[in-house]
Amino acid sequence: MAVSVEYVARETAANLWRNRLMTIAAVLTVAVSLSLVGVSLLLRQGVAQATTQWQHGVDVLVFLDPVPQAPTQPTAQQRTVDEQLRQLPYVERCFYRDQAYDYQEAKRLLDPSAASVLSIGTTPASWRCVLSQPAEASALASQFSRYPGVDGVRYPQQAIRTMETVVHVLDAVFLVLAVILLLSAAVLILNTIRLAIFARRREVSVMKLVGATNWFIRIPFMFEGIVQGLAGAVVAVLVTVGLHVLLDHLAGSNIHSLLYEMRTPAGEVAVTAVLVGLIGVVIGAAGSAIGIRRFLDT
Amino acid sequence: MIRFDHVTKTYKAGTVALRDVSLEIGKGEFVFLVGPSGSGKTTMIRLLLREETPDQGRIWVAGREIGRLSSWRIPYLRRNIGCVFQDFRLLPTKTVYENVAFALEVIGRPRHVIQTQVPPVLELVGLAHKRDNLPHELSGGEQQRVAVARAFVNRPLVLLADEPTGNLDPATSQGIMKLLERINRTGTTVVVATHDAGIVDQMRRRVIELHRGELVRDQARGVYGIAT
Repeated sequence: MAVSVEYVARETAANLWRNRLMTIAAVLTVAVSLSLVGVSLLLRQGVAQATTQWQHGVDVLVFLDPVPQAPTQPTAQQRTVDEQLRQLPYVERCFYRDQAYDYQEAKRLLDPSAASVLSIGTTPASWRCVLSQPAEASALASQFSRYPGVDGVRYPQQAIRTMETVVHVLDAVFLVLAVILLLSAAVLILNTIRLAIFARRREVSVMKLVGATNWFIRIPFMFEGIVQGLAGAVVAVLVTVGLHVLLDHLAGSNIHSLLYEMRTPAGEVAVTAVLVGLIGVVIGAAGSAIGIRRFLDT
Repeated sequence: MIRFDHVTKTYKAGTVALRDVSLEIGKGEFVFLVGPSGSGKTTMIRLLLREETPDQGRIWVAGREIGRLSSWRIPYLRRNIGCVFQDFRLLPTKTVYENVAFALEVIGRPRHVIQTQVPPVLELVGLAHKRDNLPHELSGGEQQRVAVARAFVNRPLVLLADEPTGNLDPATSQGIMKLLERINRTGTTVVVATHDAGIVDQMRRRVIELHRGELVRDQARGVYGIAT
């Protein structure tokens, strides 16, 4: 099947221009809905980042003095710490993370400049404890931070826990809104395709008569929808990346701020951007595919 | 080239458009399909274009049974069949040249093929000097010539014409029929559905008459009406 690029480009551009108002409406709807998706994904990544160490219900991190050989099993002294920890009534259980694991985690969480001074041999291993009463974390910290073989004790800021709940609610609201808007975007795209098909029904009937293949007839309409979805997605990607840059800038290098904890690596933001773009293309393709099925193939 | 084998076609409302029609049209023939409105002429054309499928019986075009053609192959069938209608069906925003070129463009012919194939066809239909005019600037006869050029530009094996002179005066109609005859002389099979008695009587070609969906006459060198 020979469909020339020039032909598709010309026909698609002509269709988009003929229905420019509808096109703008569709693109804007896609842009708004995908921006919500993008922001929501960004929030999720930020929360995942800030709570990396606090997953699986972990309430307290007890860092152990680093051992240069970086053993993968706890040393005798480290095992004593564990036994002492489990004597406390509010400690449910503790599990061990070796130095290699903590090193990888630190590299993810810290600025590249701060992480570069670390090595596996100088990164502490840790006991990660789940408490039956999380409020006791500070008591545990003051008791164990000077214990022999213990490097330091960390427990999450209250703010992180609050943020987690708030963000989960926001996340749900954003996703519902985004889905509703994405559906309306698909309907708008479907409608522009319908108008385009109606405007070109003479051409389409002649094309069928002289033996144009179905795909030859469909492709310009298909492209029209995809271009609309993609255009909306590009706007949404700009919004998402812009927001990421802004937040990063606000976070600065204030290690103790919440925003700093939520800094998301650029690679993950890129994944979000690609995902948002893909959703745009899929919405555009779906809208035009339904339009073509309902109004073109008879 | 064309073969109908006991073909019956009934529309949803229960009207029988064709009843047990069998006929054969050879390569290079020129055939008139005559009969009053509603006799089934247009249905035959629609069956040949595979816009409809027969309820019973089988139809062959160029050695291929088209009733069983899978839908993706239909476009390739239509590339072998040129078609002309009473209402011309030209694209009003395209020039004469573009209307003819469109038929090649949409089946994916490269530009240099289009540029070499369109001018001689416009020459053949006598409209080379009007290639840059829009359809509404042409007379009815000229518009029908453009339609014939578009149907013929891809050198189809078969040319179907459904009431090609229905909107034209007798003198202009004769011109169109002369054109179809010239196309027929190139070896193209031509089937003309018409109820224009004048041109049928004048040309003395094979006549196939339908009446209420039944084949009532098939006569070499026939005239329009002796059976009625």
